[in-house]
Amino acid sequence: MESLQFTQGIVNAILLSGTLALVAIGFSIVWGILNIINLAHGAFLMVGAYITYWLFTLYGIDPFLSLPISMAIMFVVGYLVQRYLINMVIRAPLLVTFLLTFALEIVIINLATFFWKGDLRSVTPDYAGLGFSLGNVQVPYVRLAAFFISLILTGLLHVFMTYTKTGNAIRATGMDIDAARLQGVRIPQTYALTYALGTALAAGAGTLISISFPIDPTMGGAYTLRAFVICVLGGLGSIPGVMMGSVVFAFIEVFSGIWFPSLKDAIALLVLVLVLIVRPSGIAGKAFYH
Amino acid sequence: MSDREKKKAPLQYSLFDGLFQGRQGVLLGLFTLFLIFLAIFPFLSFASGFWLNTLTLILLLAAMAIGWNFIGGYTGYAAFGNVAFFGFGAYGTGLSMTKLGLSFFPSLLIGALAAMLFAIVMGLPILRLKGHYFAIATVAIATAMGEIADSWTSFTGGAAGITLPFFDPIEWSGQFFYYMSLLLAVGGLLLTWFILNRKMGYSWIAIREDEDAANMMGINTTWAKVMAFALSALMAGLAGGIYAYWKTFVLAEEVFKIEYTLQMILAAVLGGTGTIFGPFIGAFIYYILITLLVFFLPVGQLHATILGTIIILVMVFTPKGLMDFISGRKKISINSLLENIRTYRV
Repeated sequence: MESLQFTQGIVNAILLSGTLALVAIGFSIVWGILNIINLAHGAFLMVGAYITYWLFTLYGIDPFLSLPISMAIMFVVGYLVQRYLINMVIRAPLLVTFLLTFALEIVIINLATFFWKGDLRSVTPDYAGLGFSLGNVQVPYVRLAAFFISLILTGLLHVFMTYTKTGNAIRATGMDIDAARLQGVRIPQTYALTYALGTALAAGAGTLISISFPIDPTMGGAYTLRAFVICVLGGLGSIPGVMMGSVVFAFIEVFSGIWFPSLKDAIALLVLVLVLIVRPSGIAGKAFYH
Repeated sequence: MSDREKKKAPLQYSLFDGLFQGRQGVLLGLFTLFLIFLAIFPFLSFASGFWLNTLTLILLLAAMAIGWNFIGGYTGYAAFGNVAFFGFGAYGTGLSMTKLGLSFFPSLLIGALAAMLFAIVMGLPILRLKGHYFAIATVAIATAMGEIADSWTSFTGGAAGITLPFFDPIEWSGQFFYYMSLLLAVGGLLLTWFILNRKMGYSWIAIREDEDAANMMGINTTWAKVMAFALSALMAGLAGGIYAYWKTFVLAEEVFKIEYTLQMILAAVLGGTGTIFGPFIGAFIYYILITLLVFFLPVGQLHATILGTIIILVMVFTPKGLMDFISGRKKISINSLLENIRTYRV
């Protein structure tokens, strides 16, 4: 039985790492380019999950089909939030932006609890429980699909950042804002676009999470912290780094969940503190996206 | 006075030199009157239990905000986990009173010292971190401590909590806790003033302005930062101990609530970080704002939305706090409110 639990744990960790990578990528580009810790990231993820839930419950739209819808809605929301709120104080000291995004998270979660209640909800399409077995190990189809969709979205982001003019403008802004401005990059719009990409990816992750796990308005905070830990583990702003960090973190989380169920979050957080102590600037410590 | 004499004027001045002169003096006089009012408050005829309760809460918040100001305001390290020290103080006091059977004051001391010790042990490694990393590390530690306190049932009572004995004689308990909190808050003000006139205070400000330069000037920055962290832990730990005995109950999800960290930061920011009186006055401003908003928007469940909206407005319009307006250094106008946006937007 022990070995079964072990192999199942490995499979679960790999499946989890895909979703976590998607959560962390959005967090990472916002941090890397805008130099803010977006504490509202998890709240946007939660709203994305709820959009999927309501589209499914009210209109019967398949959760995988609602992925682009929830991403598009949150893209617009993120753009407006950054353009007309965070941009106003973006160059202020750390405490200001930190508190601002923290407050955003509080407001979003509180409004969600107020309108949608705090109950646990789940998206249950007909195929939700289906899966296949590898020996004794269970692999649910939805989680496998979520894993591959996460990889595809991450890849698309990489292509966008590397091969399009807009993506290059975003990267240039992260490297040297003054030089980017001299090249004609419109900084406010670029910042808003970056943030919007971050929230859209968070919403996408929220959609994928809502298919496999129950959701509630406070689900986001844990993902914000996870995204942070992953960014520290993998190095800020590099896609391969974030992927690697997600795998490492997923293994820590799954196995500490098996061995010390009640201290799951505490262990993840203590790992974070430990990594920070050993490498105070993070493992890679690069200050921009590349 | 000629220029030459001006240059010679010593930097240090005695406590009472020009203390009550000019606008600053008027304000200090008003503040003194306010303190006297607070000191005699329980004996006033309209001082009901409700007002005593509210003021005790405000004063505890003021004490924690004053403590946060040491590390967040003067030293410039965005500490987001000070609630951990509050929790340590509460649990330290509660466990000493129930498990060791000590009376309140030694227990309070144990709780506060435990919080300080924890701050020193945690501070030595994490105060090497900068900016975002430090902030998140403190959040992480506070969250982890809350979870450990919640799940370590054999020691902390877990989800059942710890029940403390009542204050005896019970009819004076309101007054007792009120004066304890007042003493703590005023003690915090005196402590701030005391430190600021010493090398430690200058070290903190030097670290905030430029840590590398401070280091080069021979300031032991590690020591100064750890002291700032430990003293803020002392304030929060004492507040936690008083709170625990006041409520006669300690529960992890109550005393490790991240909202408390937010409240103390917000109080300090509202009043003005890096000022002596700012956090104290900020705590009052914070409660007045919250009470007014809850009064005009009577939707109890939206309390957190109101808190969040206040934070957003303060961060966008007056992140330097309201002290500049109160002391008359700035006039309240659309221009002064937009000044922050003009400086920091892109």
